[in-house]
Amino acid sequence: MTMRRASSGGRIDRTRTVRFTFDGKAYTGHAGDTLASALMAAGVSVFARSFKYHRPRGVFACGPDEPNALVTLISEGVREPNVQATLVEIFDGLDAESQNRFPSLGFDIGAVNGLAGPLISAGFYYKTFMGPVVGSIRGTRAWMLAEKAIRRAAGLGRAGHAPDPARYERVNAFCDTLVVGSGPAGLVAAESAAAAGGRVILADLDATMGGSAKWSSAMIDGRPAAEWAAGRVAALEAMPNVRLLPRTTVWGYYDGNTLAATERVSDHKSSRAKGEPRQRSWTIRAGAAVLATGAQERPIVFPGNDRPGVMLAGAALRHAGEFAVLPAGPVVIFTNNDSAYTAAAGLAEAGAEIAAIVDVRPETSDAARALADKAGGELLTGHAIVHTHGGKALSSVSVRRFTLESGTFSGETRRIEAGCLAVSGGWSPMIHLASQAGGKPAWSETLQAFLPPEPTQDWTAVGAADGTFRLADIVTGAEAPELDPAPAPCLEIASPGKAFVDFQHDVTADDVRLAHREGFASVEHLKRYTTLGMATDQGRTSNIPGMAILAAATGRTIAETGTTRFRPPFSPVSIAAIAADRHGDLRPERRTPLHDWHVERGAIMQPAGLWFRPRIYGDPGETVEQAYVREAKAVRERVGIVDVSTLGKIAVQGPDAAAFLDRVYTNMFSTLKVGRARYGLMLREDGFAYDDGTTWRLSETDFLMTTTTANAGRVMQNLEYWLDTAWPDLRVALTSVTDQWAGAAVAGPKSREVLAACVTGTGLDDDALPFMGIVHGEIAGVPVMICRLSFSGELAYEVYCGAGHGRHVWEALMEAGEPHHIVPYGLEALGTLRIEKGHVTATEIDGRTTARDLHLDWMLSGKKPFIGSALMDREALLAPDRLGLVGLVSLDGRALTAGAHIVERGDREARDSIGHVTAVCFSPALGKYVGLALIRGGKARIGSRAHLSDPLRDRFGPVEIVSHHFFDPDGSRMHG
Amino acid sequence: MLIPCPYCGPRDVGEFTYQGDANRVRPALDAPRAEWETFVYERVNTAGPHREHWQHSGGCRAHLTVVRDTLTHHVLSAEFVRPGPVAKAGS
Amino acid sequence: MAEPLSPLGDAWRPGSHGNFRDGTGVTLTETRPGSIVQVTAWPDTDDAVRAAIRDSVTLDLPAMPGSGVAGEALSGFGIGPGRYLLAGSTEGLETKLRAAIAPETGAVTDLSHGRAAFRIQGESAEWVLSKLFALDFAEAAFPLGHGRATQHHHDITALIQRTAPDGFDLYFFRSFARSFWHALCRACEDVGYEVR
Repeated sequence: MTMRRASSGGRIDRTRTVRFTFDGKAYTGHAGDTLASALMAAGVSVFARSFKYHRPRGVFACGPDEPNALVTLISEGVREPNVQATLVEIFDGLDAESQNRFPSLGFDIGAVNGLAGPLISAGFYYKTFMGPVVGSIRGTRAWMLAEKAIRRAAGLGRAGHAPDPARYERVNAFCDTLVVGSGPAGLVAAESAAAAGGRVILADLDATMGGSAKWSSAMIDGRPAAEWAAGRVAALEAMPNVRLLPRTTVWGYYDGNTLAATERVSDHKSSRAKGEPRQRSWTIRAGAAVLATGAQERPIVFPGNDRPGVMLAGAALRHAGEFAVLPAGPVVIFTNNDSAYTAAAGLAEAGAEIAAIVDVRPETSDAARALADKAGGELLTGHAIVHTHGGKALSSVSVRRFTLESGTFSGETRRIEAGCLAVSGGWSPMIHLASQAGGKPAWSETLQAFLPPEPTQDWTAVGAADGTFRLADIVTGAEAPELDPAPAPCLEIASPGKAFVDFQHDVTADDVRLAHREGFASVEHLKRYTTLGMATDQGRTSNIPGMAILAAATGRTIAETGTTRFRPPFSPVSIAAIAADRHGDLRPERRTPLHDWHVERGAIMQPAGLWFRPRIYGDPGETVEQAYVREAKAVRERVGIVDVSTLGKIAVQGPDAAAFLDRVYTNMFSTLKVGRARYGLMLREDGFAYDDGTTWRLSETDFLMTTTTANAGRVMQNLEYWLDTAWPDLRVALTSVTDQWAGAAVAGPKSREVLAACVTGTGLDDDALPFMGIVHGEIAGVPVMICRLSFSGELAYEVYCGAGHGRHVWEALMEAGEPHHIVPYGLEALGTLRIEKGHVTATEIDGRTTARDLHLDWMLSGKKPFIGSALMDREALLAPDRLGLVGLVSLDGRALTAGAHIVERGDREARDSIGHVTAVCFSPALGKYVGLALIRGGKARIGSRAHLSDPLRDRFGPVEIVSHHFFDPDGSRMHG
Repeated sequence: MLIPCPYCGPRDVGEFTYQGDANRVRPALDAPRAEWETFVYERVNTAGPHREHWQHSGGCRAHLTVVRDTLTHHVLSAEFVRPGPVAKAGS
Repeated sequence: MAEPLSPLGDAWRPGSHGNFRDGTGVTLTETRPGSIVQVTAWPDTDDAVRAAIRDSVTLDLPAMPGSGVAGEALSGFGIGPGRYLLAGSTEGLETKLRAAIAPETGAVTDLSHGRAAFRIQGESAEWVLSKLFALDFAEAAFPLGHGRATQHHHDITALIQRTAPDGFDLYFFRSFARSFWHALCRACEDVGYEVR
């Protein structure tokens, strides 16, 4: 097709010239042009090569319906493939590229696929690559061999690898009425909702509001429709309760009358203002939605219907009316309904030459005939297009006499010269959002279209979206011809030659029939087998013709055939717009009050859930192992300090707090004295171990519970769940106070001396502060709470203070520890010390282990029931061959690996695992590589040998199974 | 999906945590094992209105008994599980 | 006693930022209240707790869910059934409330260090907050003095009180403060913002 720019008309700004490139070539257009309109105005007719057959394709539609003219946009080094050229606003510096062609659009090697057409028919992939064994090559194997070549030949644009520097953001909006679509129906609805005083949002995917009024030749209130619309838009814009969202596609309708939209904030700009996002994702909670989404035109399927120059009639009219782009040669109109007559008249008025109107119907209405007279050219009722001719652009069409009822032809085939064939198969209301909202669309035999379902949410459809096509029925004061909205039920002209249904996936009418012959009679099966409607345009132009052809093949009506379900998104949405601020440096992170100190001290910080914790504080030249061994040794020999602020801390307060704890912990807390702490274990309701930690009694009615770092949130939720649903009568308040406290554990034989040097206001000897005792004092003028408890197995204290004082107190402790060469230690050393002591953490309390498996049965009180007590003694949970906690010692002097399996045979190929390794380290106390493991039979295997097997990391070696208490099993060190 | 929290008003489902089937009757802690097995493991799989517990974990943190139609996601009612001191939120 | 450290560290950058050529749309501050305290009533003591708050610290909290009072020296609002958050400019709020509310009446929990407080004020405050929270910030839906408990992303609990026609105070878990502040500043860039 060759198009040209009309010398006048259109809504473009001819005073502003815009420069852009397409396939490396420089072009100009005007402000208000789309990439499609500007390129067509510049004489470009081939925009893409088709998916399978590499046929040349031109612009077929306008707006979001476009199946052919997909391009890749390149901006800041980032490639965005598969963008519809009909939706791209041009700007200075726009850089676009065509797709699926090699080496160029004009000459494409892949076009030889066209000759192999019958081989690449419906179900090609299934038949070729999932077929029977051929010789030694099975189908799937053949796929692996061929995939690369096929992926290259078949397909769309290529995504890039460069990170996208643009920003994207999300925003939440609330309104009483959301109007989707700003055509006449949407404007009327928005105006009436706004006049009622509610908050109104009016969204339209176009850059300017007005919808079809922008290119309609109708008059409203005595003015051209476009002028009327501009006036209404300006009035709405001036109202404080109305928000206009141009360039915004509402693409999803979810439960709770929540709609999702993407606003293209700066895609049309050469540069962005500071902080301006590229796109913005809107989540709109609407009291009511008005769906004024209009209708989309369907094509008629006939041989040669994909040749560049064949175009939807409404699209041709819009290109002429909105962008002043006209077919350069004579235009033939082909239609089954009246609306194309409006297009014919409009095109003629804009300056195009109408050669003929070919109508499949034997008769046409007077109003249509009047428009045909206005348009000029021949009126051929009872005729059909049977083929098209031309190379890369249409040059003529073949027409024959056609009988609508039988679909048969008669008489001679006649050629009519044409540069453009404008086709209309009638209009389908855009029911995507209504259908997403719930309910099944209803087929209208009269309109030959699906209408919106009965609403199950709070929405109404208006205008063409509801099947109301006459402007006079939408806007009072509209003057437009009284046309018949009902098309003839004819969507295919069955004649020899390749007739395309789905342009984007190259699915032909014969493919649909073939699929049916092969047994795919359901529309859902047809869709998946042929890929009809599964391309990026989601079958916008192909669904109805496809269904009509399937219905005819199966001898059913379209109503019986049914439509596939509409799902979000309405049109492609970039993942970046949805992810928006949920990645990169905007991910939530938690920092302890000592974070900056750790970083300044050179700690390697390691993520632990959302937290960051020091892994090691490396000295220059140290390996990780050297660092943690040095740190752990310092704790055993002198004194170390570790940040324990991340431990979950929950304030359990109230007159019934002690009773509550008795129910959730396996052991007793009501007997705990004020000023003392106790180690506690929780089970799940099914009897498995859940979490552990110490709980401190600060007063009769105040407890401070600590949980593992990883489980803090879940434990809090569980406690709340039990309190609310199981024991609502208990007067207990639960509050997360994790962040209230900075915590430092000072551990090692010299720890008491360190504290003695800086703590005032309390004694620290065994009488004042016995094991598991709590005292209050001050460090450097800051109130602190000190509990003598130990995770490392050494004499140790946990020092807590208000988080804002954390660094102050920590530095005072460091200073007090200076004479003892105090060493800060990280997670690796913390892990080493606990492995040496055989203490469990989340890697052992993994949801599959019981208290008994972990040798914590001494904590299961027999004096009271508790959560989990009813189910913890089930037979399978007591079985002697359960995985139980043991220690492992490496016998080959090499490190063990966490996650490795343990096998009995000394055979690298052995796969009969008897358990797995949960944690490993080099133990400075033992001078060996050790680990903890969960082994079948547990303690019964102590003293035996086995092998560690880790094929993934190529580690195999002998181990000895030992008690998990590697070091100081009687705890004499911590009791000091 | 929106859940009308009686304290906070309607909020997005993302603020809530599903806390299980509310049709179950919780046994006493010292109830026989069989009752606990029923409670922990047995569920009805309702097609239609279903009573369930949701916690407004991203809001007031109260647990709610929500009746939700599993076929349509329509929330038919939402009430505090624990008898609370407050009336329904104004809006 | 030593002055408590801000959790923001070097993320606190006073001055104008973002697209402020035509003026700043919002002002951000870390309010650093001297006291932040949570009070919880038992199911049958809500009236007694509010009366005790009124009598001890002269803050008259209404019974309606999510309502509250925003004052210069002392603010408070409901954050859940029978649960209130109070923030005062001076230290010692917890001590006063503990003296007035016995365990049989309710629980008093000191969160002065556990929560960070930010204020966002300016003509674009509602717009910026709409990017971060799924709440209706319009004044009709979120009146002066009222508070809301919500979340940013799925992890960051936020308690928000409207303290001015164009201003809100936001309370966060301290450990998330720097991360959220960063996100807040980013969300303000398009309207321009001043940190002070």
